[in-house]
Amino acid sequence: MDLVRHLRYFIVVAEELHFGNAAIRLGMAQPPLSQRIKRLEEELGVRLFDRSARQVRLTESGRLLLGEAREIVSRADRLRELARHGQGTVLRVGVPPDLAPAVIAGLVAGFRESHPEVRLAPAEIWTAEQVAALAEGAIDVGIVRHPLAAPGLLFGPPLIQSQGVLLAEDDSLARGGELHLADLGGRELLMPPREGEPGVHAEVLAECRRHGYVPPQVHEGAGLGLVLAGAAVAFGPRTDLPGLAWRPLLGSPIAGRVSTAWRVETEAVAAFSAVAVRTLKERAGMADEGAVPVRRVSRRPGVLA
Amino acid sequence: MNEPDFGAVFRAAGVTGWLHATDIDTGRHVGHGSDVPVPTASVFKVPLLVAFCRQADAGLLDPAARVTVRADERAFGPTGLSAMLDDVTMSLRDLAYLMIAVSDNTAADVLSARVGFEAVNAMLEGFGLTGTFVQQKSADLYASMAEDTGHGWPYLDPEEIDRLSVLDPPRTNRSTPGETAELFGLIWRDEAASPASCAWMRSVLNKQVWPHRLASGFPYDDVDVSGKTGSLPTLRAEAGVVEYPDGGRYAVAVFTRSFSPAVNQPRADAVIGTAARMAVDHLRR
Repeated sequence: MDLVRHLRYFIVVAEELHFGNAAIRLGMAQPPLSQRIKRLEEELGVRLFDRSARQVRLTESGRLLLGEAREIVSRADRLRELARHGQGTVLRVGVPPDLAPAVIAGLVAGFRESHPEVRLAPAEIWTAEQVAALAEGAIDVGIVRHPLAAPGLLFGPPLIQSQGVLLAEDDSLARGGELHLADLGGRELLMPPREGEPGVHAEVLAECRRHGYVPPQVHEGAGLGLVLAGAAVAFGPRTDLPGLAWRPLLGSPIAGRVSTAWRVETEAVAAFSAVAVRTLKERAGMADEGAVPVRRVSRRPGVLA
Repeated sequence: MNEPDFGAVFRAAGVTGWLHATDIDTGRHVGHGSDVPVPTASVFKVPLLVAFCRQADAGLLDPAARVTVRADERAFGPTGLSAMLDDVTMSLRDLAYLMIAVSDNTAADVLSARVGFEAVNAMLEGFGLTGTFVQQKSADLYASMAEDTGHGWPYLDPEEIDRLSVLDPPRTNRSTPGETAELFGLIWRDEAASPASCAWMRSVLNKQVWPHRLASGFPYDDVDVSGKTGSLPTLRAEAGVVEYPDGGRYAVAVFTRSFSPAVNQPRADAVIGTAARMAVDHLRR
């Protein structure tokens, strides 16, 4: 028996509660429709309709099974739809390599909930590589850092994450409250690779210079080993890792800006983008981008004399 | 005797620096880029002061003559007449005092209109200071920055700062650490103008109000520091004279450019004093 087809008949009859009307809707004669409903009832071992009265009515069992039947039919339709469009059931996703494992886990779990039939294939690659991969169609959707100039890409809502300083716990600056960027003077800085994150690199270093911090050396990498070793400091969200201290920055001069990005919008891409925005807000401390704060410059007369 | 490592001291303060220091009486000197052309910023007010005195000595102007500076004639600036709201009437020499002690831009521009840059440049040439040249009054310095960037102070974008003509010696008022120190030597040896005028210039330069640069290197009651500061985006300078209790007199000129465009950098200000102190200590050994 073709269960899905029979369930489809069941749904139409349940909607019409009239075998004649249902048959017309299905483009078939009434007797074979009645036979098929009977067949389904035999298969399931329950009566779906009460035909004893003048009107056709759903039985209690019929009412219970109707929802499931709809679900099965719509899933089957969706399966055919996907197969017909030649779309794979894999969504290839780019994520920054330094995104916290908990955030990646949240992305996968959140997407699986809404799209169990689509397998998520995350690749850990930096923004510049994601832009190239999106252009080539090697990935379907990514999570990229801004500023970013990439004509032809579409972006999800911009999210912002205010960052502080990560230091070795025995650094002389490790205890206390806020730090100013200028306080970091003389310390080397660990950043994501320049080649992978050119926009972030330029923006963060310009901001450091503007605030009086010119790192004597900039290291490139994603791990925090150099910071743990006390050889460099890094910018990032509050992190609780043994051996590390995190201090907020006065005036929040360093902010990470990210968004989802894609070239071809599909239902799965849009759904992933929505899950990503929700997950980044809930698990990575990101917020909708607000107005850019105006920078203050203290006008002491001596600085101009 | 090894010269002090000025480069390392400047680097540690986040700047590149050029310096020249001379014993005013013996001519012994030490330097770090002494002949490098540098934008003077407000240090150009010192040759203007000297030329003003020479014209007074020659009877070309009356230093006590009173002038009225109208409110709408003011140049941009955070001090003196530039910071005031109403018309002001005062003597030319009091304007000169404000120009030096608090770097009053309006006072400087009133005086340069009287004295003329041609006279200042002719005087400098007569002194043999051919690497020192003035061509922009204070208002011109600010106008050119606004023109180069399309907006007013502050200037914090490193790329914009790279474009500023006021930081490019050929296009602005310029000198070298060596020549600026030499000009101070002339004033202290009564060779720049009449002895009376030189004495007055020394008293005015000694009233320099900013303590955070040259003077910060000599924090002693019995050491006198006179000088004139200069500041533009990333540029911090001071030139002057340090006088020791034993009579030793040293003309020092320090010019720096900071790696960071941040406006408030106390370490960059203080290294001017630190480097000057190292130079003077070296000359006294």
